[in-house]
Amino acid sequence: MNERYSRQTLFSPIGEGGQVKIQQKHVLLLGAGALGSANAEALTRAGVGKLTIVDRDYVETSNLQRQQLYTEQDVEEKLPKAEAAKRHLHAINHEVEVKAVIMDATAQTLEPLLGHVDLIMDATDNFETRMIINDLSQKLQIPWIYGACVGSVGMTMTILPGQTPCLHCLLKTIPIQGMTCDTGGIISPAVTMVVAHQIAEALKILVEDWESVRPSLVTFDLWRNQYQTVRLTKVKKKDCLSCGDQRTYPFLTLENATKTAVLCGRDTVQVRPPKPLKLQLEKLAKDLNGSGYSVKVNPFLLSCEKNGERMVVFQDGRALVHGTKNMVHAKAMYQSILG
Amino acid sequence: MINVLLFAQLKDELGKEALSIEGNGMSVAQLKGKMKIEFQLEGLETVMTAVNEEFADDETILSDGDTVAFIPPVSGG
Repeated sequence: MNERYSRQTLFSPIGEGGQVKIQQKHVLLLGAGALGSANAEALTRAGVGKLTIVDRDYVETSNLQRQQLYTEQDVEEKLPKAEAAKRHLHAINHEVEVKAVIMDATAQTLEPLLGHVDLIMDATDNFETRMIINDLSQKLQIPWIYGACVGSVGMTMTILPGQTPCLHCLLKTIPIQGMTCDTGGIISPAVTMVVAHQIAEALKILVEDWESVRPSLVTFDLWRNQYQTVRLTKVKKKDCLSCGDQRTYPFLTLENATKTAVLCGRDTVQVRPPKPLKLQLEKLAKDLNGSGYSVKVNPFLLSCEKNGERMVVFQDGRALVHGTKNMVHAKAMYQSILG
Repeated sequence: MINVLLFAQLKDELGKEALSIEGNGMSVAQLKGKMKIEFQLEGLETVMTAVNEEFADDETILSDGDTVAFIPPVSGG
């Protein structure tokens, strides 16, 4: 057996047989922020066969305090997180096939990526996307592991289609954005604590040790010194629209998709065109230079600034408008540039 | 009496993490309503509720000696 994984295979619940299974599995990781970069590193070190990383954002200075894969160099180059992660992961373990997908995850963009996926890891920052993952998980019979953190608080739960309750059984409606990284901040141990739970669950699933999968929801607060597990034996609902007898997968329909969204932890609004575009960024950069914007461009995105307002446009037409939480304002700024 | 545990920011809102409250025979929803009026706790509509460490919905009926935990759902990442 490979020397690289010798300590992991010595752990008897994994063993050499488990390691072989891990190396045959494909994990899709949704989000490459704090939870995403820590999950990606752990899965890569553990030797997962293939890792697909989906993320819509790029690396910024305010990420470096907790998003463990990224460096000041990534910030300087304004690299998309999925791409930056892929480069660092390759240096850690070149045996793992890492695929970086720079896009906004919707029901429509995500489903085509799930063809041969054994496990979905949640590292997103919003419930809208989690409900989409939840419906796709049920539809395609792929396990997923919910993970979330804010401030010093974290929460995680494993969803096995056909066995456990799903997230929709727990949350009848999408919670109002109460506390986000915008209002509550975030400290790095909350991130690593969630990831520790998520990766333990992931390893159990990858080696197919189904009996060991945690049947409860875990929540903790590292600052207020709280830790609680909540059993889920009575939660599964027969009439759940996502996992019940008469399921409709409500979060996969277009009506449930937003076109603008405030990003967690950032004074930023994302604006998304109805259909992905193929922008000629160099040309756009020239146009904007002429109209008083200060512009930076690389093959992946364009960043422009004027009167203290900054917008970053990705090649697919998606934009991040910085310095605002006002979605209408952001959309207006977007349209003033892209029509 | 019902033992109530408050998690995360709810603990800060109330200034303590545990209290006892009259609630025998009440539903979880009724207890939330009472907490909202007596302690001005906001956002209880969307919190997760555990009764004796078991996930419970708003219709669950409470009995003396039950421990009810209110846990705000977490979204960041």
